[in-house]
Amino acid sequence: MAARHRFSSNQNSSSGSWSISQSFASQFSNTPTKDPPEDSLNDQIAEVMSVANRDRTTEFQSVLKSIKTRQPNGVTPHANAKTPLLQRSEFSKYAKRIGTDLSKTYEKLEKLTLLCKKRTLFDDRPVEIQELTYIIKQDITSLKRQIQQLEENKTVMQTNTKRDVQRHSTSVVRTLRSKLANMSENFKSVLEVRRENMKQQKLRKDQFSSSNLSSSMPSSATQGTRGSVLLMDEQRSSNPSGSVAISMDGGDHPGRSSTQHQTMQLIDQQDSYITERAETMETIESTIVELGNIFQQLATMVKEQEEQVMRIDSNVEESELNIEAAHTEILKYFQGITSNRWLMIKVFLVLIVFFVIFVVFFA
Amino acid sequence: MVKLFSMSLLYKGPAVVIPLTSTYDLMSFNYFQRKSIQEFMTFTTQIITERTQTGQRQSVKEQEYLCHVYVREDRLTGVIIADQDYPRRVAFTILSKACEDFASKVPSKDWPYGQQANIQYNGLEPMLLKYQDPKEADAMTRVQVELDETKIVLHGTMESLLQRGEKLDDLVAKSDALSLQSKTFYKQAKKANSWCCVIQ
Repeated sequence: MAARHRFSSNQNSSSGSWSISQSFASQFSNTPTKDPPEDSLNDQIAEVMSVANRDRTTEFQSVLKSIKTRQPNGVTPHANAKTPLLQRSEFSKYAKRIGTDLSKTYEKLEKLTLLCKKRTLFDDRPVEIQELTYIIKQDITSLKRQIQQLEENKTVMQTNTKRDVQRHSTSVVRTLRSKLANMSENFKSVLEVRRENMKQQKLRKDQFSSSNLSSSMPSSATQGTRGSVLLMDEQRSSNPSGSVAISMDGGDHPGRSSTQHQTMQLIDQQDSYITERAETMETIESTIVELGNIFQQLATMVKEQEEQVMRIDSNVEESELNIEAAHTEILKYFQGITSNRWLMIKVFLVLIVFFVIFVVFFA
Repeated sequence: MVKLFSMSLLYKGPAVVIPLTSTYDLMSFNYFQRKSIQEFMTFTTQIITERTQTGQRQSVKEQEYLCHVYVREDRLTGVIIADQDYPRRVAFTILSKACEDFASKVPSKDWPYGQQANIQYNGLEPMLLKYQDPKEADAMTRVQVELDETKIVLHGTMESLLQRGEKLDDLVAKSDALSLQSKTFYKQAKKANSWCCVIQ
């Protein structure tokens, strides 16, 4: 009932998206037999705006087909024997179905946006928002799958068709894909807006309810385990390595303060898991930064040691030069000596004389 | 030593909790104790799921085990019983993964009515085996471990780089001495050459 209430209040926004869905439907419908069901749908829109409206022409036609096959001259058609026209109409039917699903998901997304944009402090409906988010996520994945199937269908039936038809089907698939991408982007931005709002709400709650907490802390004894559990939870959420033994009694407690405690406790629980993940990511990030630093230092040290290497190189070259030069000198000397015969004879004569004198002396 | 003992998925209906599928790894216990321990674990998961609210994650300490429970928005619940050392965050990551896998394989209309025999889902056992090692389950743990190893390797590299620096200094000094000596050698050779001419 609450759902219908909200839908009637959102009538204007939904009518816009319904017209989008209608344009989708008209774009992808091929056969004229589909128009009468659409008119009846139009009438239904005027009366009740609810998402329970479904386009059942596809079911109707599948029933017709099954009746046809039950007749005596009806042979169950094989997939390969389908005429190109049949394949084409199936393709367009499928595309039309995807279009309507897309429009429905758009509506849900709009509802979610409206819910998330509310800035009141106490009218927040986190359960509904989370459910809706979950449903929209499921829808997006199923739509992706359906578009994938549609594309596969298109490649299957491309054997007998003309080029224009092929191009049309490619452009149809592309349009659907782009619309889906658009929607997922919107979804992402809505989630971010929701996160921001939640943060602000938490801040405001802390501001407004800090006095509330102090007044209810003496009554924690009377409230049973709830108040003291909240204290323990706050202490533990600030201590990241502690994991935790909280056994809460389920069940509703009357009074706004306790529901506030409850939501805060819920958010704290979620927060501790999420803050743990965030801390881990931060550790990883700082480790990576440290690693970068270490690499930088490595590079600096190698560059400094490069200088030493150059010095060694120059020293060694210098010594090589010197040794070469000295070698040349000695060679010159040697050549001078060996070519100087008279000098050699003179030197040897002197030697022999001295040798003879010494031998004569000692003998 | 990190170890997972059991994983189970349940459906938390508005009045009653219905177990959907579960798997146990009780190899570390005595053969005769296994049955009672399994019953005890089933009972604990039931109680804990009843006490947890939708959209909440909790960890309960029970003797020397930790039970991690996560109740999703669509009331599908996952419970893991692990020892004290298993990191909490990784347990919840595993629970989210298991719930998503289950939700994709078993249609959601079966959940409120499923019995353990009806539900055809056998993906829990390989997951339990695989995730005994927390690194498998969680990319962040893996990244952290690899980064730490890389850091250690880099520290070793820095050490060897410093040693290289010292050796280079040594080499500089020695090549300096070598060049001085070669210069002396050259001078002496030149002197010898000129002295020889003097003799002549």
